[in-house]
Amino acid sequence: MPLDTTDTVAAAHQSADTPRPSSSNLAFMAAAPSALLAACGGGGSSSPSPAPNPTPTPTPVGLTPEQASRFLGQAAWGANPTTLKALTDQGMNTWLTQQMAMPPSQSMTAWLIEKGYNDATVSGNINGDGGWTGAIWNKLFTAPDAFRQRAVLALSELFVVSTLGLPISWKNFAIANYWEVLEKNAFGNFRSLLEAVTLSSAMGSYLNMKGNQKANATTGRAPDENYAREVLQLFTIGLYKLNTDGSLQLNAQGQPIETYDNNDIQGLAKVFTGWDLAAGTDPSGNLASLAYRQGLPMALNASLHSPEAKSFLGTVIPAGTLGAESLRLGLDALFLHANTAPFIAKQLIQRLVTSNPSPAYVDRVAKAFVNNGNNVRGDMKAVWTAVLLDTEARSASSSTSFGKLREPMVRLVQWGRTFGATNADGLWTLGNTNSDTALNQMPLYAPSVFNYFRPGYSPPNTALLQARLVAPELQITGEPSVVGYVNYMAGTVNNARVVKVDYTTEKALAATPANLIDHLNLHLAAGAISAANRTLMTQAVTTIAATTDAGLLNRVYAAIVMVMSSNDYLVQQ
Amino acid sequence: MTTPSNTTRRALLKQGAALAFARTATPVAASLAAMANAAAQTATDYKALVCIFLYGANDHYNTVVPYDLSTYNAYYAIRKGTVVTGPYEGIALTRASLAATALNAPLSGGRQMALNPQMTGMKTLFDAGRAGIVMNVGPLIVPTTRTQFDNKSVPLPPKLFSHNDQQAYWQSSFQTEGSASGWGGRAADLMLSGNSASALTCISVNGNALYLSGQETISYQMSTTGATTVNAIKGKSLFGSSACATALQTLMTQSGTHLLANAQTQITLRALNTYDSVSNAIGASASTALNNLFPTSGTNTLSAQLKMVARLIEKQAALGLRRQVFMVGMGGFDLHDFLPDQHPALLQKLSDASLEFDNAMRYLGTSSQVSSFTASDFGRTLSSNGDGSDHGWGSHHFVMGGAVQGGQYFGQAPEIGITHNAQVGSGRLLPSTSTDQLGAELARWFGVSTTDLPAVLPNAKNFDLNKLGLFKA
Repeated sequence: MPLDTTDTVAAAHQSADTPRPSSSNLAFMAAAPSALLAACGGGGSSSPSPAPNPTPTPTPVGLTPEQASRFLGQAAWGANPTTLKALTDQGMNTWLTQQMAMPPSQSMTAWLIEKGYNDATVSGNINGDGGWTGAIWNKLFTAPDAFRQRAVLALSELFVVSTLGLPISWKNFAIANYWEVLEKNAFGNFRSLLEAVTLSSAMGSYLNMKGNQKANATTGRAPDENYAREVLQLFTIGLYKLNTDGSLQLNAQGQPIETYDNNDIQGLAKVFTGWDLAAGTDPSGNLASLAYRQGLPMALNASLHSPEAKSFLGTVIPAGTLGAESLRLGLDALFLHANTAPFIAKQLIQRLVTSNPSPAYVDRVAKAFVNNGNNVRGDMKAVWTAVLLDTEARSASSSTSFGKLREPMVRLVQWGRTFGATNADGLWTLGNTNSDTALNQMPLYAPSVFNYFRPGYSPPNTALLQARLVAPELQITGEPSVVGYVNYMAGTVNNARVVKVDYTTEKALAATPANLIDHLNLHLAAGAISAANRTLMTQAVTTIAATTDAGLLNRVYAAIVMVMSSNDYLVQQ
Repeated sequence: MTTPSNTTRRALLKQGAALAFARTATPVAASLAAMANAAAQTATDYKALVCIFLYGANDHYNTVVPYDLSTYNAYYAIRKGTVVTGPYEGIALTRASLAATALNAPLSGGRQMALNPQMTGMKTLFDAGRAGIVMNVGPLIVPTTRTQFDNKSVPLPPKLFSHNDQQAYWQSSFQTEGSASGWGGRAADLMLSGNSASALTCISVNGNALYLSGQETISYQMSTTGATTVNAIKGKSLFGSSACATALQTLMTQSGTHLLANAQTQITLRALNTYDSVSNAIGASASTALNNLFPTSGTNTLSAQLKMVARLIEKQAALGLRRQVFMVGMGGFDLHDFLPDQHPALLQKLSDASLEFDNAMRYLGTSSQVSSFTASDFGRTLSSNGDGSDHGWGSHHFVMGGAVQGGQYFGQAPEIGITHNAQVGSGRLLPSTSTDQLGAELARWFGVSTTDLPAVLPNAKNFDLNKLGLFKA
């Protein structure tokens, strides 16, 4: 059964996920002088310059199947015949609009409860993360809101929370709720996304804003700097001042210019004081249980918020400013900082399209962040659209560096979605694929807040490095993991694991190996398999006798492993 | 083995150093590849360095803890709290809990230190003279005072207190991702050109350290279970077809014009080409004797990694290696919260694994040929965040092995407090020993000549390189 039927689900998946009201003012009028800026002392770097609306790139009329498959590899999880037809019928603009209008698919919290993971008499429910692995595989393999899920995965690698760094009870729910926070905000405004991430209980626990308190001169206790440090370095502005095209600004000595120092961090750390898990009435009497299981954002304890003046990045929040207002002003300053647009733009391009976007491409996406065309800053719909419909993303590239290494976890999901993954008991107990004998990657399982890999990683002793190009995904590509991936896939594509797919179509094609390879080439690799490799694979597959059903299936399995292990596929161009 | 002339070698080393990003000071572990190269050229014996990286920044204040009454009280006053967790009050260890692991080595000013109560294995090594403690070591470009720090009147390492940058600083010359090529990779190039079994000179048993950039990717990565390869290629059968297995190997190892694909291929080729020699040398599993020497390896990742290092050292002669550098590590140390809950178990793993590795080296008769040392992003604050500590700078580290002049402290023990001039706020230690000083002594023990030292450790010239006396004469 094709599970990614994008055209039929919008009505069916009206869920109970009403977005919760945000305390933040979402309408940031980029063109209008902001009263806020005056109040903040108008830090020189935080002025949102009115941007001309970037010229929309016209959608090419009449996508070829290869073009459509390539787009679906960037925007979703690759193609199958159903999704390919839907996209070619609709065109990319309509497809994107529909995908972004589609409400989030079934909440993971609801799924966890449905599957019994809220039963406190089962200790694994309180201490384990098996619920999360099931919930996320169910979601990624089957959820109809394919683009939203792809966007959320990308955001989860920018705003990292990792199961590995959460020594808390009920982490299934904490993590699932975090995914839902990203789902709800992926196509909203960056400012509300930033606030929702900041106040989520999972992030609060992961980066220690939860329980963060004002200074105590007697004990020397100081506000915890962790969230302040990482929200600057990783979530908004980064280490060095950027031009709008993402390139580094340089000083007179030709050196990068640091965006902040430790004084800024200590100033901003005070902003993030006073928040803790939300209190309430819980039948179990377990506060953590309540906050995490119900997905509550953190709540403010006003008495623990720093009353001091908070000075950072040229912004001064006066002494005595209350907690919620301090948070609003602090996040506004980060949102309006000149670095934020190119910093976010470049990384979203890297997650979906190419590791080394041209400065002009980054500039166009950053401008969409600054101004969506209706004088709204931070409109993520405009940002995603700019990422995916940019002329650089859409052109067929003959460059020797365009594209990106497909992430291992995305490859696995692509296999499942291409061939219609199902799971008999509905629990999706595929388990954790984080080891280097599997995928060396697992959603929300990064080793640290620095994600699985860094956006600027370049492997030493390569032509890439000599050319000053980066390849983030190669940071988790090592001797164990390159072979681990192939072995894992070889043990997966033959339906040997709990997640099974339907090869009816492929088995029928397998009698003529060239047709099978062409089918896989189109749907898995967007036509990128070279003519020579098509011949190589076809000849190899032909050596498997096709006289039995088992033989035909072996042809399918071998062909998929060869395609998905080839560089033609691994590099999404 | 082809040995480049001294002139060539020094030229290469200088080239590597020149490629270092201008504003970085000297990394320790990144220079290890250069050390291996420099030392392997002329060596006739076998030596190995093992870097044990504690990712996330170990809380050194609760690892090597003030124990004499005066400094203990100063420590307790800052770190105490109302929540009691085992031997912790707040994030302070009770003094009683430290009695069994108090160290008797002399320390100036009547000072005394104790190890974390979980570190009984490390105490055994220290008492036996096979482990020493380097006090308050961290990145510096030149010797730096508090006044100079406040006035920014001397060059300072970039991005202090930032995890990935300081890890990179300890490990490689990359310091901002992608903006400059590091000489870690270049140094590894040198090593590759200079050693016959070059692919195995630098081995990481802990993956590509995920957020460091530098020499590690060029090093050979292996898992704790040994070298692995593609089953279908090894068995010459992909779903029953040898032709498909052959085609699979071809497809995985093609070179073309695309730079990303070629970089992927380089890694795949290293994996497939090295598998036979490694797996033939070390076999499918550790010997019973070695297995028994690592009793915690089933549940302690560091023990499992060091067991693999021991297996490789056991077979170094068969693998044809004279100088090797190993990287192992464990994460979880960034304990802004949960310090009393999480830290003891981490330190116990470090301590247990260190003792096991020492036992294994003595069993193999390589105790004096293998030196290991701990490293970490940075130290932490003395002041508490409530349930943990924040990012700092200088830290205490262990140096271990039969060649080490153990049972003593190296460098100066810092005052304990949040106002003195050996700290820069909240008890963040201003290092009194630079990573270059540590690196220089490791390098010289390893066989790097005094002449080559400045090229391997470009900022070493700014420091007294005979200060610590880590190794026996």
